[in-house]
Amino acid sequence: MNDKRMTRRGFLRGSSALAAAGWTAAGTGWVLRPSWANAQEGAIKMGIATDITGAIAPSGNANWQTAQFAVKQINDAGGILGRPIELYLEDTASDPGVAVGNVRRLVQQAEVDVILGGITSAMREAIKNPIVRRGRTLYIYPQLYEGQECTPHLYCTGPTPYQQCAELLPYLINETGAKRFAMPSANYIWPQLLNKWAREVIEANGGEVVMEDYFPLDQLEYSATVAKIMSEGVDHVFNTVIPPGLQAFTKQLYEAGYYDQGSLSCVYFDENSVHYVAERELEGVYSCVDMFHTIEDPFTQQLIADYNAMFPGTQYRFTAGTASTGMYRGIKLFEQAVIATNGDLDRDATSAAMDTAAIENGPGGPARMVPGTGHTEMNMYIAQSSGGSWNIISSAEAVAPNECG
Amino acid sequence: MDDAIKVIFDVAAFASIMVLVVSGLAVIASLMGIFNLGHGEFVLLGAYTVYVFREWGLPIFLGMLAAPFVVGAFGAVVERGVIRRLYAQPVIAMLATYAIGLIIREIVRGLIGGQYYAIEEPIPGAFQVLGLSFSIWRLVIIVATVGVMIAAWLFLTRSTLGLQIRGALENPALARASGISTTRLYALTFAFGAALAGLAGALMVPLFSLSADLGVRFLVQAFLSVMLGGVGTFEGPLLGAAMIGAMVPGFQWLREIPGVSDGVSPVVAEVLVFLTALVIVKFRPNGLINAGRR
Repeated sequence: MNDKRMTRRGFLRGSSALAAAGWTAAGTGWVLRPSWANAQEGAIKMGIATDITGAIAPSGNANWQTAQFAVKQINDAGGILGRPIELYLEDTASDPGVAVGNVRRLVQQAEVDVILGGITSAMREAIKNPIVRRGRTLYIYPQLYEGQECTPHLYCTGPTPYQQCAELLPYLINETGAKRFAMPSANYIWPQLLNKWAREVIEANGGEVVMEDYFPLDQLEYSATVAKIMSEGVDHVFNTVIPPGLQAFTKQLYEAGYYDQGSLSCVYFDENSVHYVAERELEGVYSCVDMFHTIEDPFTQQLIADYNAMFPGTQYRFTAGTASTGMYRGIKLFEQAVIATNGDLDRDATSAAMDTAAIENGPGGPARMVPGTGHTEMNMYIAQSSGGSWNIISSAEAVAPNECG
Repeated sequence: MDDAIKVIFDVAAFASIMVLVVSGLAVIASLMGIFNLGHGEFVLLGAYTVYVFREWGLPIFLGMLAAPFVVGAFGAVVERGVIRRLYAQPVIAMLATYAIGLIIREIVRGLIGGQYYAIEEPIPGAFQVLGLSFSIWRLVIIVATVGVMIAAWLFLTRSTLGLQIRGALENPALARASGISTTRLYALTFAFGAALAGLAGALMVPLFSLSADLGVRFLVQAFLSVMLGGVGTFEGPLLGAAMIGAMVPGFQWLREIPGVSDGVSPVVAEVLVFLTALVIVKFRPNGLINAGRR
């Protein structure tokens, strides 16, 4: 719990670390130049547009660190076809209004060959057109999300609702005997579309949804909802309430004695959750994402160890819920796409190659784009929280995204 | 019947939280005529103090005891450095408090990396009465709120210092002529309000977890409480806070009445709180209690 302690000195050190790590200011953004160059062809330019500041900063910073990590790995191994990657960062500041202008700088001034980033759906919606349509640039979106994004030249490398529900919900119904589901949710698009999927899967497997409610994102009082969950005899809560509302909800649920009656699952919970949900309230909770730190895959274990070695003591860890897995996967898939085009960085050429790209090793296992869908097939893991860590209880290989086609 | 007990407890608990949050704001707004827009961040500082104590490996309840003193001292510094210069221009003072709040919020955001942190209650868990489960910490908050409010009220109405404070606000010139240092009293009042905010943040953070926006969440409702209760008295805003605090869970519970839940979504229930408050303010523009300072 204390590994993320932040001292004043640490804070100051953090802010000067940018310069120390080789970052140079370019206009308002940042550029990380490789330590070596290819004189003939120059560097491949990769743009990262993510939330370094504002409400989504914890995920954005994890994404940014992951990008540096993946690019360093590629550059240290000789680059892509002998060409190094040059990283350009623009802060989207958790504000779609600010983001559009900053992203345009990546496209027009830096003229990057690909842009990765965006955490929230609102951000993706705001920046996709400036990148893909007006900017004619390849866009990779790394976060688990609500699905239905089928824009050409936009590739989603995080899990879809189907991937998160198709294994988890039948498991809960068949293995834990859950029958009566409650779906308390934050009132925005991800829970709404995810719940639509979840309800379908629950009903197809003989379960029943007795409650589906949408709350303001920052609601702090859930006594009536919790009382209803108790009195309706709900035996599984499929939660999509997010912080800051989440903590009040899980606490009130715990204190009402719900865990004698049923269980809870939440498909964005990962290794960070223990910091914002009290450990006893997290005990026994289920999650389903594309990677946990506890999976046995040696490649993933090495990846986490190397990431932690590059950012010792970082509070922005390499987890699934922060889109780190999707970011790493996206960069490695792009690398494969560029290899497939033999170094041709033309947008349409790389996009066509991206459509069929695959990697043998990634966080959580292999991954491949499902041609014609812009979405990624990947392994999914169901885990249960115990003593602050996630015990893998079931895994499924090569789960299809089931989107756009 | 079971439900009724549950409703009363939950409503009382949330009303207590609101009263605790508003008390500091009420002291400063009513007694000094300054709307402290940084109040939410004073609450945040109280919560952050508890977090710092935990990170130092000290008991959480010690952090809760220290929070009002830490934030009170901070309030005194703010009064000395900024507010004191702006008593003649209340609007500028208000903007200054907003700026101070913004600075605190963003510094805390940097220090905790923009993350959310769960803070354990010193006394966790629930107790059973009549087969119903109640949160121990919410009960502690109800008791603490009642205690603190009685103490604050006694201090302001019964003690000599309280009398001087009220006198200095009623008629500063006369107070000064009577040999009372109004400068010192204003500083004291501001620090006292800040201390109450710190206490509120420290006590409630285990229920909601620490994040940089903890205080902002309450600020709008707190100002609505002050508007509803009426500026100028200590008890007016508290009454307003209790009403707002009761309506928040109250309207959610209304949804349990058969037929209502289809028409009233949780989002609508939240809006209803503001709507009801505004309707009341429309008919009582000076607030529920406005005696004394007209």
